[in-house]
Amino acid sequence: MTRSRPSLFSLVMALPLLLWQLAFFAFPLLFLVAISFWTVRNFQMTPDLNFANWERILTRTTFWDAYARTAMLATASAALTSLIAFPAAYAISFKLSERAKQWLIFVLIIPFFTSYLVRIYALQVFLSDAGIVNAALGMVGLGPVGMLNTTFGTLVGMVTLCLPLVILLQVFSLNFVNRDLVEAAHNLRCGRLRTVLAVIVPSARVGLVIAALFAFILSFGDFVSPLYLGGGNPPTLSIMITDITKSGQQWPRAAVVALMMIGTLLSVAFAAIAYAYKERGK
Amino acid sequence: MNMQTSIQTDAIVRLDGVAKRFGSFTAVERADFEIGRGEFLAIMGSSGCGKTTTLRMLAGLEDPSEGAIYLDGERVNGKPTWARDTPMVWQSLALFPFLSVQENVEFGLKMRGVGRAERRERARTWLDRMQILEFADRNIAQLSGGQRQRVALARALVTEPKILLLDEPLSALDAHLKVRMQAVLSNLQKELGITFVYVTHSMSEAFSMADRVVIMSRGRIEQIGTPREIYHAPRNRFVAEFLGSANIFSGKLVGKSGDRWQVETGHGRLAVAATHAPDKALGDTVTFTVGAENMHIATEADGLPGIRARVVGEEFVGASAIVFLETATGEELKVQKSHDELAGIDLHAGTPLILHWEPDSCHVLPGE
Amino acid sequence: MTGNSNRLIDAALKLHIAACVVFIFAPILGSFVFSLNSDRFPSLPLGQFSTEWYRLIWEDPFVWAGFFNTVIVGLVVAVIATVLGFGGAYTDFRYKFLGKNVYLALALLPPTIPVVIMGLAMLAFLSRVSLSGSTISVIIAHGVMCSPFAMAIIRLRLSQMDPDLEAAAWNLGSNEWATLRHVIIPFARPAILAALFITMAVSFDEFAVAWFVSGLDETLPVKILGFLQGQVSPRINAIGSLAFLSSITLIILAQVLLRRASRGTS
Repeated sequence: MTRSRPSLFSLVMALPLLLWQLAFFAFPLLFLVAISFWTVRNFQMTPDLNFANWERILTRTTFWDAYARTAMLATASAALTSLIAFPAAYAISFKLSERAKQWLIFVLIIPFFTSYLVRIYALQVFLSDAGIVNAALGMVGLGPVGMLNTTFGTLVGMVTLCLPLVILLQVFSLNFVNRDLVEAAHNLRCGRLRTVLAVIVPSARVGLVIAALFAFILSFGDFVSPLYLGGGNPPTLSIMITDITKSGQQWPRAAVVALMMIGTLLSVAFAAIAYAYKERGK
Repeated sequence: MNMQTSIQTDAIVRLDGVAKRFGSFTAVERADFEIGRGEFLAIMGSSGCGKTTTLRMLAGLEDPSEGAIYLDGERVNGKPTWARDTPMVWQSLALFPFLSVQENVEFGLKMRGVGRAERRERARTWLDRMQILEFADRNIAQLSGGQRQRVALARALVTEPKILLLDEPLSALDAHLKVRMQAVLSNLQKELGITFVYVTHSMSEAFSMADRVVIMSRGRIEQIGTPREIYHAPRNRFVAEFLGSANIFSGKLVGKSGDRWQVETGHGRLAVAATHAPDKALGDTVTFTVGAENMHIATEADGLPGIRARVVGEEFVGASAIVFLETATGEELKVQKSHDELAGIDLHAGTPLILHWEPDSCHVLPGE
Repeated sequence: MTGNSNRLIDAALKLHIAACVVFIFAPILGSFVFSLNSDRFPSLPLGQFSTEWYRLIWEDPFVWAGFFNTVIVGLVVAVIATVLGFGGAYTDFRYKFLGKNVYLALALLPPTIPVVIMGLAMLAFLSRVSLSGSTISVIIAHGVMCSPFAMAIIRLRLSQMDPDLEAAAWNLGSNEWATLRHVIIPFARPAILAALFITMAVSFDEFAVAWFVSGLDETLPVKILGFLQGQVSPRINAIGSLAFLSSITLIILAQVLLRRASRGTS
């Protein structure tokens, strides 16, 4: 029905969510921008217009080191997860029966409802010097390999975090690839690998890029894996935030770091989406 | 702008200068007509002509951009659909999948506050009337298309409305079911004596069931009349072409002698009997039709005057056949005759024939 | 396609799927196994079967306090998020208006913001308005983070509805409120229930933002974080396994409900 003025009914339906998200989502994030200019006096945050926090953070090499490290880890995680996921996603989408597909998708949803923390703790047990993996290696006369408190450990944790999501997103986008195109390619005597690279990947490009983007965002913001599997040193940006917040009241400085993170993520997201939807020129 | 809240009229529905626009798109240009009590009115046209929009305005699902709608004498612009008594039978049927058949039928009564026992009784009476009582407790997914159709009807009629709106209710049915349901609807309407407003794109449905038909095209009402009136006296070229059974000619009026007109067309000077034609002056354009069954065929050998055309093909329609011909200028003509009448005439493709008719069987289109 | 079917490659690919599943589930299963293992630092060969860790958490008031907080928060958040999400889903389903894209962005973006940033923003803001450091703060934060899930689930179900169904109810004399009660909600019921379960499950496991804002009223995941930071304790495995079992039960229920809905009465 067409009404020119919003009815009471429509407002009752639409407003609660809007008001809640404005008050408790949009506003706190905007508040972060504001407090990045505030000062801490006597252990209390006081309103101010002060660039000191920004100056302090952005001139520190520790910040930029952490920034570089976080960016590197996130990129590595996104790339690694995408590469590991793809053959699995390809097989699920193209090689399995409907029933098997549905089962696997259900299986892949389960990790979302397990505690990431508990999984990382279990990984600690697996990867520690006297842990499960090293014990197994020891049985065949290898190792021990130091896996905790290394970049390797961090990446294992990040891939654990991202892999289910990336596989699901890739399967979802591969499902939409026109099977006729694949058959046509085979018909034109295009080998399997070449078909994959030349036909399937470009067709599913948007979904594959979005999956990698999600992996990047998740890994960029994660503090659990770098801290408990990577040793926490050198810190990532997320660890910096938790350190600053928990050890003192320097929330304005933490806000600066957080805003730099948001800025980076937005830029990466825009760039990724632009690339994904780029028209194939002729 | 008519701002009266009620008017004196015998009609149960009146549309007064009603128009409907969606942004820059005009769905209904201007609708002015009345619907009588107990009338079966069909609104017919192809997709996008505005028929469904008109129906939705009667139901209260859309508000007119201009003009007023009166239901039973009361002006109802802006009155929401739940406050009107204009139940609709939907094209998709829109039965509630989480309710049983009986609960579906009871819905309208429940919303009006009718008590449980009475609801049950009235619903079951209607289910019985539609011959689906045995399915009362089933889920609608278990019924066939035709049975669901009956549930939709029962649901709409159980509240005993004065008007029933129907939006292409038969379009999803098989051909044989369609014919059967047409009979059901016709009989039902006569039995109940209530007004049916029936929207369809099918001419055969409209013409076989309705008392009067409204033909619409691109938001405009082209003609309103009984099926016979429309068939024998189409108002303009659109309706004539829509009916599809007539041959249409156009030319300049060059001679008048009482009822006999002389029209100069591309086929020469033709004589037309203008008994019900509007007043035209010499030099005006005159468009007239000749029904396919009123055309006569002669061969060259007969030597009679008429229009020359070549046979293109033939189509069998029961006991008669339609012969399609094409003139030298590319115009398409139709002649419909019984097989007996056509016997003995060479109807091979390409055969040249002469077509003629009595001037009295012409019909001048008043709207051109 | 038979000419291109290479059995070896197919087998390798399926093996790869299995490897990925093993990789993903190893920590989960490992945690379960370790929880029943007597060793403090499990390794190969595994120690003896033991329910010691379960006994420890059963007797630990610290853990129980966390559990109660988590359950209370979960129940309240489930209701709030489902109600908010329903409103958003219906609004998206029925109305077109200026700024709808902004509305949808606000409603659906929270899961894309890294939890550390959300945690910090919530902490700063809520303490400024003196709402921080309690169960209420966690409820507020989780309300933001879980509504998108409820909204997506319910919106999906609404898109399965015959668009004329609502208008048919109006047409039969049911105004918008009555139609909501007698048509929309009954139709969306499976999705509403699924949303309740799933938002509860999401809230159960959310530790990061809760850690920032819960102050002394810590939820269970926050306590786990504490355990991780402090002394390494295999109690985590016991807690984790129990939490996993309860979350799994919730999603299986939700899945069953959603499947029954789309197969049966659509």
